[in-house]
Amino acid sequence: MISLRGVSLVYPNGVRALDGIDLEIGKGDFVFLVGHSGTGKSTLLRLLYREMAPTTGEITVDGIRVECLRRSRVPILRRHIGVVFQDFKLLTDKTVWENVAFALQVTGAHTRDVIRQVPRVLDLVGLSHKSRMYPGELAGGEQQRAAIARALVNNPKILLCDEPSGNLDPSNTTEIMELLLRINLKGTTIVVATHNQAVVDRMRRRVVRLDNGRIVTDEERGYYFLGLGQSQILSG
Amino acid sequence: MQATAIGTVTVTIVLLGAFLYARAVLVHFGADVLNQIEISAYLQDGTSPARTEAIRAVLAHDPRVLSVQYVPKKEGLQQLRRRLKGEIDTSILTENPLPNMFRVRVRTPELVPAVAAEIRKMPGVQYVNYGQDVVGKLLQLVAVARRAGIAVIALFILVAGIIISNTIRLTVFARRREIAIMQLVGATNAYIRMPFICEGLLDGLLGASLAVALLEVGRASLVPRLVAALPFVASNVVSVNLGTLVPQLLLVGAAVGLIASWISVGRFLRT
Ligand SMILES: Nc1ncnc2c1ncn2[C@@H]1O[C@H](COP(=O)(O)OP(=O)(O)O)[C@@H](O)[C@H]1O
Ligand SMILES: [Mg+2]
Repeated sequence: MISLRGVSLVYPNGVRALDGIDLEIGKGDFVFLVGHSGTGKSTLLRLLYREMAPTTGEITVDGIRVECLRRSRVPILRRHIGVVFQDFKLLTDKTVWENVAFALQVTGAHTRDVIRQVPRVLDLVGLSHKSRMYPGELAGGEQQRAAIARALVNNPKILLCDEPSGNLDPSNTTEIMELLLRINLKGTTIVVATHNQAVVDRMRRRVVRLDNGRIVTDEERGYYFLGLGQSQILSG
Repeated sequence: MQATAIGTVTVTIVLLGAFLYARAVLVHFGADVLNQIEISAYLQDGTSPARTEAIRAVLAHDPRVLSVQYVPKKEGLQQLRRRLKGEIDTSILTENPLPNMFRVRVRTPELVPAVAAEIRKMPGVQYVNYGQDVVGKLLQLVAVARRAGIAVIALFILVAGIIISNTIRLTVFARRREIAIMQLVGATNAYIRMPFICEGLLDGLLGASLAVALLEVGRASLVPRLVAALPFVASNVVSVNLGTLVPQLLLVGAAVGLIASWISVGRFLRT
């Protein structure tokens, strides 16, 4: 579903944010991208939804060669990918319903589809009863659920989350992670960039660890800290 | 913000329209004067009828020449007497001082100097006269008005374009979050651009419409006063109206709004 080969990215200011990344993510996978702040997690996600093109390397997302995508084709790629951010990026002058519907409307969807899809995703994230509220009237966890609903309303095959729980307290974080799991169970491929140790350790999913723009470990059922399993064995 | 853009377009188009109108009047007036110009070619005394006929034939066959009229000295005197009647006692003219002459009219005023010079060189022609000074100055004036027009129009349009483009850029900036989300969820650039282009187009059209209305009001109230003050221009000014200028000005307004907003949104979407 997602494949990176020899991907490097150097920002115009000379910062080498990614350096020789090779990564394969299969259909329906749930992957954590972990690492200290500034190790290139957000940069990697930005390359996947073609916010930028890599300096070198090949990126394939859902069969689309992303790095040589023409500007006019980028919207097509984005309709296959939902993206969720730490700061939710909701429009404050629109209700939850309008925020979610907006994502469909601006791709030229029929009203008929809007009326069918918006309640479906609002129900999925558990916000049906607050669909007429404005983001300012919602708690942080609810805002993030609205953002997830918006990311899913196009029925994307891939959901990218950049620090989705960065602004949430532990109980809201748990709720959001459970929601992501449910979405993953329906077949959506999910990549979550995070430095929330508790989440990663509890979920026991695939963990790709970045350090200084390189992948240092890639564990099938990993912990947040490098080789935590082994170190516990060693010390115990 | 939008009011500023519309207001600027209005001012610009009013200036542009007033300029174009004044230019049209001037060109019309100049053309009117120039079109009445005729070349008088005076023949040497004693030029033979055969020579006279030859000159007439050459002129009549010249494609630049509209008409040739032979005025023998006797008829010239009669015309002179008629023209001066009441002003001077023409009976004092006992001898006829006038030479035989041709009155030549050419197709366009610009041809006058060249044709006159050629006639002058013909054997049997003593001298030619067409009001050299006036024609030269008028021709110059009309040419300058035409050329200056293009530069001034370009300048006006550029200024209006820059101001609309800045206004649209502010609108775009105010809605940058919305635009970022549109881009994120896969709206095409054409879709994102559309409302801004429409706004630019509308600003341009509204501004131009307002300008046209103001111009018409101005023309309707100023022209009669002008005519009263300068009777000799009356026929010229009154016969020039805003007619063909109106669609041109509206088109300029719309085009400026469209292009300016296209450029400013495009620049934003690319970065
Ligand atoms: N737009 C940018 N321009 C220049 N450098 C950037 C930009 N964004 C991020 N960086 C740099 O790239 C590196 C990786 O950043 P980022 O991908 O945001 O890391 P993370 O998400 O893991 O915290 C950092 O050193 C950061 O300073
Ligand atoms: Mg980041």
